[in-house]
Amino acid sequence: MKVSLFVTCLVDQLWTSIGVSSVEVLRRVGCEVEFDQRQTCCAQPAYNTGYLDEARQVARRFISIFEESHAEAIVSPSGSCTAMVHHYPQLFADDPEWLSRSKSIAAKTHELSSFLVRVLKVEDVGASWSGRLTWHDACHGLRDLNLKSEPRTLIRNVRGAEFVELEHADACCGFGGTFSVKYPEISLAILDQKIEAIERAGVQAVVSGDASCLMQIGGRLSRKGSKVRVMHLAELLAADSRG
Amino acid sequence: MNHLSSETFRENARAALADVHLRGALKNATSLFGERRREAAASLPNWEELRSRARAIKDEALLHLDRYLEEFVRNAESRGARVHWARDAAEANTIICRLATERDARIIVKSKSMTTEETHLNDALEAAGMQVVETDLGEYIIQLAHETPSHIIAPAIHKTRGQIAELFTAELGMPPTDDVAQLTSTARATLRDRFAAADVGISGVNFGIAETGTIVIVENEGNIRLTTSLPRVHIAVMGIEKVVPSFADLDVFLKLLPRSGTGQRLTTYQSFITGTKRRATDEGPEELHIVLLDNGRSRMLAHPVTRQSLACIRCGACLNACPVYQQVGGHAYGSVYPGPIGAVITPQLMGIEKTSQLPYASSLCGACREVCPVKIDIPRLLLHLRGEITAQRKGSAAERLAFKLWARVMMSPLLYRTSSIAGRLLQHIIPISRAWTSGRDLRPIESQSFHDRWKTLQ
Amino acid sequence: MNNAAREAILGSIRSNLSRSVPDETNPVHLENPVILSKKVSSATLVDLFKSNLESVNGHCIIADSEPGVARALTTIISNLQTTNLRAQRIALSDTPSMERIMYMTDLDIEELTITPSATEIFSFDVGISSAQAAIAETGTLVLDSTYERHRLVSLVPPVHIAIVDASRIVETLGEALALLRKDNEISPAVTFITGPSRTADIELTLAIGVHGPQELYVIINGSR
Repeated sequence: MKVSLFVTCLVDQLWTSIGVSSVEVLRRVGCEVEFDQRQTCCAQPAYNTGYLDEARQVARRFISIFEESHAEAIVSPSGSCTAMVHHYPQLFADDPEWLSRSKSIAAKTHELSSFLVRVLKVEDVGASWSGRLTWHDACHGLRDLNLKSEPRTLIRNVRGAEFVELEHADACCGFGGTFSVKYPEISLAILDQKIEAIERAGVQAVVSGDASCLMQIGGRLSRKGSKVRVMHLAELLAADSRG
Repeated sequence: MNHLSSETFRENARAALADVHLRGALKNATSLFGERRREAAASLPNWEELRSRARAIKDEALLHLDRYLEEFVRNAESRGARVHWARDAAEANTIICRLATERDARIIVKSKSMTTEETHLNDALEAAGMQVVETDLGEYIIQLAHETPSHIIAPAIHKTRGQIAELFTAELGMPPTDDVAQLTSTARATLRDRFAAADVGISGVNFGIAETGTIVIVENEGNIRLTTSLPRVHIAVMGIEKVVPSFADLDVFLKLLPRSGTGQRLTTYQSFITGTKRRATDEGPEELHIVLLDNGRSRMLAHPVTRQSLACIRCGACLNACPVYQQVGGHAYGSVYPGPIGAVITPQLMGIEKTSQLPYASSLCGACREVCPVKIDIPRLLLHLRGEITAQRKGSAAERLAFKLWARVMMSPLLYRTSSIAGRLLQHIIPISRAWTSGRDLRPIESQSFHDRWKTLQ
Repeated sequence: MNNAAREAILGSIRSNLSRSVPDETNPVHLENPVILSKKVSSATLVDLFKSNLESVNGHCIIADSEPGVARALTTIISNLQTTNLRAQRIALSDTPSMERIMYMTDLDIEELTITPSATEIFSFDVGISSAQAAIAETGTLVLDSTYERHRLVSLVPPVHIAIVDASRIVETLGEALALLRKDNEISPAVTFITGPSRTADIELTLAIGVHGPQELYVIINGSR
């Protein structure tokens, strides 16, 4: 199957290995991956902060670019960015033309684990990684895209990985985009609950499907001198016995 | 500590975060309530169907609110109730004060009503020379403490038993103890004679049934039954959005409300009051007055996204689920209604001028939407309000400029690809500022973007 | 009186509604049948009611006749008399059967009054009333003030004893609501009671017996 990669601006600028790993995994399961160099952002930051005109501008560009793709699916390593694309119809509720175009694009846009398990029906991507790890349910992936069993299924099939369920895995990490900037102390207080749960879990790594959560959690773990590392699901799935 | 303002939410939150007692109390309360709600919901196999049903009933009621209100009033009045309409808080207070003073009321007993908190009714009644006694235990506690409620259904949740014990000793002369049963029976004994002496009882209303003109009020303690059956006069204060079309609708709401609020199958008492007594020898009040309050609610009907705010049945589940509320509690919001529902109705009731921090006080995690028994899409409402705030230019000018620049960069592959620009801009929006680095380390900016690395992957 | 406010509010509702487009993601449908569950036997209803009442700290005794009810009352009240709840001053509701049953009991009490006044009721230890129906799935009593004066008797004294016919127990909340709607007019005051009064307002610690009774006894009369 041919897929078009929507790598997200965050991964593109700040965590490229997530993009590289996504490509690796998709190829390993037999997909042909194209990458449209014109892509920039899904408009989530503007949308979430209330700048709807700017959000619409950038969303229209996203839609126009990806409409031109002949790929059967648009795949992204981010639950929140995928959810943003799924929200495009709300942005264009009063614009029949863009409403219909946004619905078509939304229908073809999938988050990575959802694409693997629900579309390709693949649960084992041949990954191996040894150690004890746990999963953090990123909010948009969980509540907007209903991703709960899919990532866990994929992780359970990683050879050598010992998966433990995190207490309150579905509790927010406190990032929330501009929330972490506008209310940093509250963001940190919420984050520290997550960190405490991670420490109690006694794991070597925390895995999640959203780079933003991973930056939030990873940044705090590192500040506290923790040995626990953060990993994106794509990075875990791309791992093989060479580590 | 009390009567904080929404305008200082950020500072209020900071103070709350530093309050160890408060954080402990909040953690216990919200996790216990959350756990009980989860179990209660799981015990009903048709929970999701009930939620959809409830939302559909509310949507119908709101889409034809004028018609259902008129039907409710007609039926209530035909059964002897007197209905009064209040456009705003001041009018409601004026009506109620007038009713009380016309009847030479001296002592007024009240049961818990968030609507009367909204209008600051107690202040108005006291200013008119009447003694008002809150009879719900949690409300009684905060009345003694001169505070405001910090949770929609458990008003004193922010207080430890030690704090309550000190309060009772200071205000009621109770011998020192922090045994909960003792504290409760002290309150019971103290309030008994207030009930007996009261001229007027004031309550809220959970549901107003259009079909029959019935008001329905739910509780655990029995103070609502006392308030609404002992005094000669009963005044019930009801937000206009509380009306539901038919009596049978209660089957849905009485299953959802207690489970969502406290995890109970049913609260101890439900009172179904329809008009006044039929026979002179019957027990109960001589007069029933229902005060219908608008106070900004009708405005919310104007947009489908905001209209759902009025579906709220005041269960408090969203408060318990909210990671922000769990950390800072209710007082920080500086508004009568705290938590997620408070963050969306307060700006609509009070205007966004002084409440513009509230819609941003959320990580948009969606936990509230998940637990709401009537499926209010609070995150969508928050985004709608954020859009209003920026459209009316009530946000920061620097931020507005940043997003204009952001749009320009995101629209231009050339500008975007100049990765240092995009990267730095990103780090401004998810900033590198002290807000971030005060608590977390930053990932270093990579020398290559994914766009660059793609070349090696092709 | 107050018509200006009424017109203003109704007018505001109408004009705001006319500005909004119905939200297509929430189609409104009106049919709302009461969610009934399958019919269960009356013996099962009694057991169901009993276990649900007991799960909320109520007491349930099953009797098979009026004399049986009287015996149950004797047991309950004489046991209470050994506690600090005294059970010496008894208030009754005004149903004829109540007085009849009371006189069948063999009790030594200070005072027996039918529906004491609002000022007198506070000095009574026990209130005894009937319940017009009961809901098995929740252990709930339905008190309909059309049939009996029981509002204060069932609320003020620290102990409430309620007598209900087994034949009046329905399974579901929906059925009970339908029963109330069945007659011409719903009664001015109906009360649902599920257990003794309670609160968790202090540190979420459960305390039984706040403003309403702290003990609730339900005697189910199974006689036909």
